[in-house]
This record gives sequence, structure tokens and C-alpha cells, in this order.
Amino acid sequence: MKSLAYSVLLFVSLSSSCWAQISTADQLDQQGLAATCANCHGTNGKGVPNASIPLISQLSSEELLAQLLAYKSGTRSGTLMPQLTKGYTDAQLESIANQLGQKP
Amino acid sequence: MNNSRRHFLAHSAAGLSLLGGFSSFAQASLGKAQILVIGGGFGGATAAKYLRLFSNNTANVILIEPNASFLSCPMSNFVVAGMRTMADITSPYEGLTKHHGIKLIRDSVSAIDPDKKTVKLSSGSVLSYDKVVLSPGISLMMNSIEGLAKANQAGVTLQAWKAGPETLMLYKQLAAMRDGGVFAISIPEAPYRCPPGPYERASLVANYLKQHKPKSKVLILDANQDITSKGALFKKAWAEQYSGLIEYFPSHNVAGVDAKTKTLRFEVQDDVRADVLNVLPAMSAGEIAIKTGLANANGRWVNVDFLNFEATAAKDIHVLGDAIQTAPLMPKSGHMANQHAKVAAAAIIAQLNDWPINPAPVVNNTCYSFVNEHAAVHVASVHQYDAQAKTFKSVPGAGGLSSESSNTEASYAWGWAHNIWADTLA
Ligand SMILES: Cc1cc2nc3c(=O)[nH]c(=O)nc-3n(C[C@H](O)[C@H](O)[C@H](O)COP(=O)(O)OP(=O)(O)OC[C@H]3O[C@@H](n4cnc5c(N)ncnc54)[C@H](O)[C@@H]3O)c2cc1C
Repeated sequence: MKSLAYSVLLFVSLSSSCWAQISTADQLDQQGLAATCANCHGTNGKGVPNASIPLISQLSSEELLAQLLAYKSGTRSGTLMPQLTKGYTDAQLESIANQLGQKP
Repeated sequence: MNNSRRHFLAHSAAGLSLLGGFSSFAQASLGKAQILVIGGGFGGATAAKYLRLFSNNTANVILIEPNASFLSCPMSNFVVAGMRTMADITSPYEGLTKHHGIKLIRDSVSAIDPDKKTVKLSSGSVLSYDKVVLSPGISLMMNSIEGLAKANQAGVTLQAWKAGPETLMLYKQLAAMRDGGVFAISIPEAPYRCPPGPYERASLVANYLKQHKPKSKVLILDANQDITSKGALFKKAWAEQYSGLIEYFPSHNVAGVDAKTKTLRFEVQDDVRADVLNVLPAMSAGEIAIKTGLANANGRWVNVDFLNFEATAAKDIHVLGDAIQTAPLMPKSGHMANQHAKVAAAAIIAQLNDWPINPAPVVNNTCYSFVNEHAAVHVASVHQYDAQAKTFKSVPGAGGLSSESSNTEASYAWGWAHNIWADTLA
């Protein structure tokens, strides 16, 4: 019984990161690209709560992409994000938004 | 016991594959390959975690690190300035073992044999590997300054540039200093670990002195011709907040230390005496990288293939973080080491899966510095891989500096610290 409880716990903790399974080179490249955001926004977009950096995990892919593009074009202001988004191509920002955003 | 006997008797923690009579040179498949990550700092710990994440938790990853917990250099200047404790910059390694199934060996690597593909630990154990990820950080070239090795051993000078006991010792020296005393920090020629780090330290020490010992002075003795990072922002803060307290001296290259009189000698200028001496000598890749023959950039830094961070001097040894000869405009930072780790981890998993390696990786850097306890500034950059030049190039028009220091940036800086610690370790 004990070991079952443990394995359930383990499963919960491993799966709590909601990490998508990677089964192609393309998926790996996309996860790698999205992981460049994790230093500030948390592993797989799940940031530390109350750490003052805006949490992005509740946003949909569409919302994320809209905000990333707004930072890049300058219609949304900020400290770092306008500077960082300008370094990524639109296609890269779209891929990141698809990886980190909530799918409906 | 002689070395070969110790080698013969080698044993290791349960469940690790031991050195057999031979090692295979064919590419092992993902599930079978043994990946040794050496060094659990920003680069190594992140690599270990992402090797597991990118392989759907199937990669066989062993992390070798002598320290019981992770000690963060970022935010360590707050400890030096008495505003935070060591506990605030310490994180456990437990997350990596518990949440990510990484095997942890608390030991240090004494030798790597790239031909036999083995790694020897200080305890005497020998492990074989298919892949090594090496992120040993820096070593401080104590012999580059006459008298420094001895002075530092005696605790007369301190470096505190690797977070650890010296971080707290430096604070204790500062706390014991008389009001009206002199704190001197010397900076080696770039490249060194964390370009803005010494200027942030000077600012926070000045912040402490202003409150507790206002007659004192901070001298910044910089071997470089000017401030190497965020120059205008630091100068503005010093003029506005620490006028008469901080004095900045460019092109001051320390040549010698007299421990008895606490005096620094320079190549050109007059001697400087101080009460607390924080001497940062020139730096190079961590000792194990040099010993293994990987440091083929001036004998100091490791050249790597930027697509997978494999050392150009040895196959299947991937080197990250401060130890490498960085791409142009790429700083030696913890943020950068974390980003290197993800590129390397993805490339290693691709290789072991027999997939093509991502031909166009991208990395970014963000680095915050505090100018006082409550205000910070940042510098940011994005680096895209350039296939023709075979290096990362920072994207023109992207990145940049803060327009001014602010409390908002200070709260983001702490947010960054908590998030990168979690991304690296939890
Ligand atoms: C005062 C200060 C402030 C800083 N502030 C920032 C900041 O705000 N933002 C930022 O991004 N960066 C900052 N940095 C820089 C950052 O600390 C480094 O760039 C980062 O630690 C580099 O990561 P690394 O993995 O290369 O090395 P490290 O993090 O130093 O890790 C190296 C690890 O390898 C282990 N090791 C070494 N040799 C062996 C061996 N033979 N066997 C096994 N293990 C070994 C060590 O014990 C250590 O744990 C700062 C640095 C300083 C000094």
C-alpha cells in the first residue's frame, strides 16, 4: 500500500509540470525555444507565485502571441519584454506562444 | 594506496554503471547512454533537469557536485553588504532527485579521460560515460598577482567570487571595519565572471557604509579602461547616491599584494592601502576543464561548437557556462549558463535519439544589478545562431539597458532570482 501511495505521489509531482511529451525533433526544437523564457517565467511557463514577475501560465496561446507581438512592435510598454521580443522572429514568438499558452 | 590500486577497487553509489574492462565508442541510444553532469551550478543543474525533461524522463542522468546545496552568486552581494543571510542564497538539490529522478553524487571529479571515456572522482570511484556535460565555473588565477595566493589563504584578502564561506567572511570584515575605513575592490581585465557584478558589489557595500559607517570609502580599482557593463547607469547612481563615498579608478591593474601592510601594488600607479581588500584576480575555466586539456582558447577558456556546446578539443564532452570562450557580446552570467544548458541538453537528446540537432538555436540574457537596496537596473540581449559564422550573434536592435534605476526593476530582479533558482533546481 505504502509503495502505491508513493508511486501515485511521484506521478502527481512528475506530471504536475504538465510537460508535453516530446516524440519528434520538431517538438524538441520548439520546447527548447520556449525554454529560453523559463529563466524568468518558470519551467514550462509555470512561474513561482508571488515572485513579482507576471505569471503567464493562465494565458491562451492567442493572448500570449498578441502580447508578445505588441511588445515587439512597441504598442505595449515594459522594462525587458520590448527589448527581448525584438530579438525573436515573429515565427519564433508564435512557436513560443503555442508551447506556453493554454490550449482551449 | 596507489592510484592504480584505488582505481581497481573503484566502487560507486548503488545502481551506477561501473567501469568495465572496456568501453564502447558507438553512439549509445537514449535509454542506455550514461550521461554524467559535472558541476551543479547554474549550467550543470539546469542541464541535468532539462536532459530529463527533454527525454520524457528517460535519460540516465547523474549529477556530480561536491557542495551539499546550491549557493547562488546572484544576490550574494546582498550577503556581503549585510542585507541578507547565506540561507537566502542557498537552495537544496533535492528537487532534482525527487522531482526529476536525477542521481546525485556528492563528490568532485579529479580527472576525465576523454579517450577511455571515464571520469574519476576524488573518492577514487571511476565511472564510464557516453556523454559528459561539464559546467565547472571559473577558477581564480591567484598566481597572476604577486603575493595574492598567500594573502587570500591568510584571509587578508578575499575574493568571494564563488559564493561560499568567503561571502560571509567579507561581510564580517566589513562589519568589523572602523568608520572612516577603506573598502577596496579590484577588477581584472575582461573577460571575467559577471561583468557588472563588481560594480553592483561596490554599490551595495557603499549603501551599507552610508547607513552604518558614513565616513568610510569604497575604492574601485578597475584594470579595464572603463566600467565594463551598465557604465552610465552605475556612474549616475554613484554621483547621486554615493558622492564622496565611492571613488572609481580605471586602468588600475593590480600587480602585487602586501599582506602585512594591506597594500595593493599596481603596474603603473601609486600603491593603495585599504582596511578590507576584495581582490579579484584574472579568471579562467574551472580547473578540471584545464586539466583535461579542453581550454584551447589562450589556455584559459574552452572553445565549443555552439550548436551543441561540445568542446572542440574532445568528443562527447559538452561544456557550458562561465568556462567557455563565449560568443561575441555573450556575458559570463548565470542566466546565460542556464540558456547554454538548454541548447546542449536538447542537442544531446536529439543526438541520442538519432534526430537532427536544431540548426537555429536562440538564447537570451537578462542581468539585473542593484544600485542600492531597493533599486536595480538591467541589461538584456538576444543571440541567434549564425550558421555561416558558426557562432551566436546578438540581434541588432534587440536588448538594451534600463532607462534608469527603479524599484520596479528591483522587484523584478528578485522575481528573476526566485524563478531562475526554481527553473534550475526545482
Ligand atoms: C557577485 C556575483 C553576482 C552575480 N550576479 C549575477 C546575476 O545577477 N545574474 C546572472 O545571471 N549571473 C550573475 N553572476 C554570475 C553567475 O554566478 C555565473 O555566471 C554562473 O554561476 C555560472 O554558472 P556555471 O555553471 O558556469 O558555474 P557555477 O554556477 O559556478 O557552477 C560550477 C559548479 O561546478 C562545481 N564544480 C567545479 N569543479 C568541479 C569538479 N571538478 N567536480 C565536480 N563539480 C565541480 C562547483 O562546485 C559548482 O557548483 C554573478 C556572479 C557573482 C560572483
